[in-house]
Amino acid sequence: MRLFETTEQGSVEIEINEDLRARQEQLTQRNRELFQQRGIRAFDIAGSVGAGKTSLIASLVERLSKTHGVGVIAGDVATTHDAERVAGKGARKVLQINTGGMCHLDASLVHQALAQMPESGIDVLFIENVGNLICPSYFSLGTEARVVVVSASEGGHVIEKHPAMFQSAGLVVLNKVDIAEAVNVDLSQPVADLKKLRPGLPVVRTNCLAGEGIDDVLRALELG
Amino acid sequence: MHEYSIASQIWASVVKAAQERGGLRVLSVKLEIGPLNLIADEQLRFWITALAERDGSPGVRFEIAHPPAQVRCRACGEQSEPPVAPENADHFLPPVVACASCGSPDVAVLGGRELRVVSAEIEMGEEDVSD
Repeated sequence: MRLFETTEQGSVEIEINEDLRARQEQLTQRNRELFQQRGIRAFDIAGSVGAGKTSLIASLVERLSKTHGVGVIAGDVATTHDAERVAGKGARKVLQINTGGMCHLDASLVHQALAQMPESGIDVLFIENVGNLICPSYFSLGTEARVVVVSASEGGHVIEKHPAMFQSAGLVVLNKVDIAEAVNVDLSQPVADLKKLRPGLPVVRTNCLAGEGIDDVLRALELG
Repeated sequence: MHEYSIASQIWASVVKAAQERGGLRVLSVKLEIGPLNLIADEQLRFWITALAERDGSPGVRFEIAHPPAQVRCRACGEQSEPPVAPENADHFLPPVVACASCGSPDVAVLGGRELRVVSAEIEMGEEDVSD
């Protein structure tokens, strides 16, 4: 598709002055308002590939589905593995977004997904971001809080190396604590780094596969 | 990789403005990008150039300004410019936003997250140049 026909004629400078950050913020605000209108408490679950985001969501859905209408939006570059994995845990609606190469979800993608899940009865929504500890940090989705999942196997300095993501977090879940010794990681290091970066930010230690610490996550999110 | 989505938004903004003015081709784009956006200039240029080529504006030129990051420290109260070079604000070394005076990361960001399409130079039909 050609939008412009090329010619060799005169040129002119046009003022555009468009603030894309402000536009992103408008889209974020639109999501916030939509969540509020529908009475949905939404959480952005972010973290590296393999940190345990899907395991955390699966555990949370399992606990919450008895008392809440839970929805899940799973963002991935490709495949529907994550959506399938949480579908059997009692979620009322699970929707997969394939970003097709994009390294993060943004407010616009989430808005499109919300349009596909108009069902009433969803009051808690988990949005699984694309596995990435860097790019999503600057794209707010309009959720109540971002939960950053980080696992022991990512090394002791993972928080210090990725400050932007943790500066945007509302809760940090330190997962796979059961294998810390096996991968020779001292978990006091990331906790100390976080305390320096974000004094007072809550941290919950979990072993999501075994369901350990999930009640603490629910309490931290005021869902339990 | 998030440069692609930013590039798409920038290019859509430029195309819309150019078409509203009856432009035939985009020759150059002027941007203002704060160093705290985690955007690598070279990747951004690459993607905008690719999108411009696709849409019939090959060889588009760029002027990218980087306003300095500015923070106010909640610990010591100082307002300062944290030392964040734009060339370092990439995927491998995300900028640490901390007070330049006392080093505390507990800061309010006042500047450095700008992401603005300032203007574009567009080629016009001969009769439209005087606009």
